[in-house]
Amino acid sequence: MSQLAAKGLGARRLATATPASTIAARRPTTIPTAATFTSTTCLVALASRSAARRYLSTDKKAPSKAANAAADRERGPSFKGQMMESITARMQREHAEQERIARIRQQSATSRGFSLTFMLLFVGSISWVLGTKFPRDPSPASTLPLNATRPPKHSTGKAELEAAWADFAEIVGSEHVSTTAADLDAHANSDWSSHQGDPGDPASRPFCVVYPASTAEVSAIMKVCHARRIPVVAYSGGTSLEGHFAPTRGGICVDFARMDKVLALHKEDLDVVVQPAVRWEELNDDLALEGLFFPPDPGPGAMIGGMIGTGCSGTNAYRYGTMREWVLSLTVVLADGTVIKTRQRPRKSSAGYDLTKLFIGSEGTLGLVTEATLKLTVKPAASSVAVASFASIRAAANCVARVVGDGVPVAAVEILDDDQMRFINQAGSTSRQWREAATLFFKFSGTAQGVKEQIAIVKDIAKKAGGESFDFAKGEQEMKELWSARKEALWSTMAVKKEGDHVWTGDVAVPMSRLSDIIEETKRDFKTTGLVTSLVGHVGDGNFHIIVLYSDAERKLAEDCVHRMVKRAVEMEGTVTGEHGVGLVKRDYLPHELGETTVDAMRKIKAAFDPLCLLNCDKVIRVQKPKAGEVAEW
Amino acid sequence: MSHRLLQRASRGATSIQVWPSPATVRASRLAPAFNQRHQLGHASAQSFRWSTTGAGPAPHKRVNPNLTVVGAVAIGCLGFGAGLLVANSTPSTDKLNDNVNTTAYATHSEMLQAASQIALAIGPDNVSYDTDDLEHHGHSDWSTSNSPIRAAAIVYPRTTADVSAIARICNALNVPMVPFGAGSSVEGNFAQPHSGICIDMTHMDRIVAFHPEDMDVVVQPGVNWVDLNRQIAHAGLFAPLDPSPTATIGGMVSTNCSGTNAMRYGTMKDWVLNLTVVLADGTVIKTRRRPRKTSAGYNLTALFVGAEGTLGIVTEATLKLAPVPQDTSVAVVAFGSIRDAAAAASELIRSGIQLAALELMDEVQMRILNEHGSEAVRRRKWEEKPTLFVKFSGTTEGIKSDAVRVGEIIRRGSGNEEGNGVRMHFAGSKQEEQDLWAARKEALFTMVNIRPAGTEIWSTDVAVPVSRLAEIIDLSKRECGQLGIFASVIGHVGDGNFHVAMMYDPRDGQQKDAVARCVHNMMGRALDMEGTVSGEHAIGIGKKECLVDELGEETISLMRAVKKAVDPKWVMNPGKVFDR
Repeated sequence: MSQLAAKGLGARRLATATPASTIAARRPTTIPTAATFTSTTCLVALASRSAARRYLSTDKKAPSKAANAAADRERGPSFKGQMMESITARMQREHAEQERIARIRQQSATSRGFSLTFMLLFVGSISWVLGTKFPRDPSPASTLPLNATRPPKHSTGKAELEAAWADFAEIVGSEHVSTTAADLDAHANSDWSSHQGDPGDPASRPFCVVYPASTAEVSAIMKVCHARRIPVVAYSGGTSLEGHFAPTRGGICVDFARMDKVLALHKEDLDVVVQPAVRWEELNDDLALEGLFFPPDPGPGAMIGGMIGTGCSGTNAYRYGTMREWVLSLTVVLADGTVIKTRQRPRKSSAGYDLTKLFIGSEGTLGLVTEATLKLTVKPAASSVAVASFASIRAAANCVARVVGDGVPVAAVEILDDDQMRFINQAGSTSRQWREAATLFFKFSGTAQGVKEQIAIVKDIAKKAGGESFDFAKGEQEMKELWSARKEALWSTMAVKKEGDHVWTGDVAVPMSRLSDIIEETKRDFKTTGLVTSLVGHVGDGNFHIIVLYSDAERKLAEDCVHRMVKRAVEMEGTVTGEHGVGLVKRDYLPHELGETTVDAMRKIKAAFDPLCLLNCDKVIRVQKPKAGEVAEW
Repeated sequence: MSHRLLQRASRGATSIQVWPSPATVRASRLAPAFNQRHQLGHASAQSFRWSTTGAGPAPHKRVNPNLTVVGAVAIGCLGFGAGLLVANSTPSTDKLNDNVNTTAYATHSEMLQAASQIALAIGPDNVSYDTDDLEHHGHSDWSTSNSPIRAAAIVYPRTTADVSAIARICNALNVPMVPFGAGSSVEGNFAQPHSGICIDMTHMDRIVAFHPEDMDVVVQPGVNWVDLNRQIAHAGLFAPLDPSPTATIGGMVSTNCSGTNAMRYGTMKDWVLNLTVVLADGTVIKTRRRPRKTSAGYNLTALFVGAEGTLGIVTEATLKLAPVPQDTSVAVVAFGSIRDAAAAASELIRSGIQLAALELMDEVQMRILNEHGSEAVRRRKWEEKPTLFVKFSGTTEGIKSDAVRVGEIIRRGSGNEEGNGVRMHFAGSKQEEQDLWAARKEALFTMVNIRPAGTEIWSTDVAVPVSRLAEIIDLSKRECGQLGIFASVIGHVGDGNFHVAMMYDPRDGQQKDAVARCVHNMMGRALDMEGTVSGEHAIGIGKKECLVDELGEETISLMRAVKKAVDPKWVMNPGKVFDR
């Protein structure tokens, strides 16, 4: 009973409060979206239904009131009069009560409806406003710091990949989609890579290897992967050294092996159109027939696709420049399957952004190169080789500085240290015995007259710089023999390695004036560790490699030494990689070399090209905040 | 039932991290309490109600507050989702080519406000509102694509930090920024079609560091290349680029310039080691350190070279330098027809002889030399025939053997059809060498100087694969000739690039249209021949449409995506290269 009374009281209090709230409810007549509108009407309906139910409950009060009246009646003097009076009074009371109830019902139903509508509209619109204000692209920032990244979401579930397999099989034919264990392993990592993945991790192996035959097929594959959010790693020669093609998030591998054709040779224009799996050595064999040649000369076995991916170079870079200077145009399949061509075939152009150069050296993280137009040059009429040995690396480096500074157009200048020369002698891979001292190898090219003149100039410079010996080739045969030492360098070092040893090829570049400093310091550092090392350098452009042999137990030692070398290079205003690229191994060095903001700008570009982060994810730059302890201390 | 509903509602409310209303957060915190005090549902329901709206009818059934919570969460989610959807309509996946989210630029008064903020940041002396100054920075006689709109103010930064401050202010206020170097560009690259703030780099003209032993030099963007080469000549080094003599490094980088030396040394992009760039939001990045070669990370240097200031403002550059060649020599050869000259040129390129430069001037240019050349140039009576200028460089011996080979090729080449008409003239002395080459360098200026009052010069350039050079020069020249106006061809034929200059009267609509059509046809022809619409002048305003023809919508879309990534508000030199 008391509960009921309290309820009635509450209801009355509310009834008086109603007008104000109704006004309040009417005021925000914000136009609701279709969604809010329907749900509002629903809720209004709900509210009125509950109001109706309340009406029934108050109605139940009536019989108890009637009983009271009957009790009064018994006590009164004039029975009929009293009865009539009381009936009238009762009727009036009941009437009033009913009216009141009806009024309350009416008012509270409307007011509740209104206030509910108001509340929901209010919540809805506040949320809407907040929704529009939610951090989103494009933010006004020009860079994308690691903190602002959202981890990429891929679907690499078995079911998804199997469904994708069927799509790939339809595109390239099921015989060109491989899932054999050997194939998958070969596309997961290599022995010569300095990246050591966890072989047990399924994400470090592709689910399948797809072999497309045309740009259209690559585009179709990318469309499937884009729709299904499957990460993709591109693969051509597999000679890279820093884990460029090692998958980090499962997904698939696109191997360009079937795209190995020279599409068009324009002799008059000195260019050639090739597919990504053309080997540079074979290309040069073909071109030699026409008296032409393509200068970049990375590791044997490398293919054009990978050469573009890493922005490779080699011994010819001093005279001819790197891959960047020898690509006229690229056909690229983007992350969503769009096919673009960066240029036509002019030798020079200043039309629009240089996308060609942006793709060169992007390691397959921005797009898949399916066709390239390469610049060619005329094969020099004459060439020769000279070898000069010096008492120290520094004396040799001084000689190089003079040659470069005087602008002698030598084709290549390479340095091999005393250890390297000893290994060559030990391995017996060349027909002659070498002085075990720091040795410079010069390559000359040009007209016969020009070559002779160059040799004379270099001989003079070498002598002044303290050269202990100077030999130059007098014929084709001798030239090959002299150059063979440079060519055999890596293999000679490999030949002295013990069973179970690994090889690490480090690669840094510094401004030329610092070259002898860094070489000397690095050699000293490695000497103290007792690791077997040798040194080979493209000294003409301040770039050198250290070849380290290490056993599993010495891995940490080697790692630390290479790390110190990289740090030294950065301190000397150099770079952490002259020609091998960044891959997985060197990405945490980049912020130190380039600065945090520069890497953030690169990340922003990566996000613009590949928002879902499907293409060679995690290479070059991190796309996701690393876990604690994942990044080694600088 | 109600219990469960509320639980679900409370779960919903807490699981949404970004849930906005503090009231609902409070409601969710209240929910467990409500569950505990189920028996006193009334009281808790009231407190709940208070927390959400603060007013409303007393519930007579416990189901009401629950429904309200569910409803509120649902509506809230829907609202938030809808808001996100609308705001995020820039898709993050496949569509690179969307045009939504075009923020309007600031009004003129807002730009002036930005200018006054900049004045506070970099000093009032470095901000100019002078009309003459605005005019000078907004119009160029050399350019074919001027805009009638002028900048709101010119600012003169002195340091990278100044430029960064300017960018921060402009980006915040949606004010376009247009960097300005020497103003020698010809495609309207520094025009201000959207007004804004013009950033003149004149005061940033220091050579920051010179490393002769590393063969590089660190310079600010306002350094003039001629000055630079003069100042470092003592070390036997030079920057082997030769655009207009007035050009400064900033503009040279931004248009990826080249010149007569490009045949031997390549273009600007081959000579920039690193750049310090201020991005749209004021972030300062340095693209590299100083190694001669590197493969570390994306090649941002190459991206900014030739971007015409649409991606960032270059505030410092490290340039590679080349040793000054031991010896040089110059020869001129006149041919019977332009086709013969071009054919001989392409023969020379394919020979592999390392020439320093290979330039072509047509008979019109040669006539001008005879009539209006400088004194040094007129010392010689030029044959008024298409002429090749050949520059040799290297060692004295090397030049001699090169010269012999060049002579042979020209004699046995297509030019020989004219019988003994082809003669190669070598410079006999250093003085003569200079005079001969001056003739080539003067060409454009002489042309500008002699033009009749009121006429303008439409100078344009294209490049094609070398084998098509003779053909396109021939066709283009014939078409220009038919217009009956002054038209001439100068070419850096060594890399398949040539310029056409035409004089026209801008008041004569018909003539202007005819010239425009002629230029358009030339572009079309270059593209048909797999060439480019701009060999070295860049795109600016003038060639935007041609660029679409050259590269296709997809490629432009990708460029647009790059632009949008580093300049989301599209405030860096808007209206150039391509439209958003």
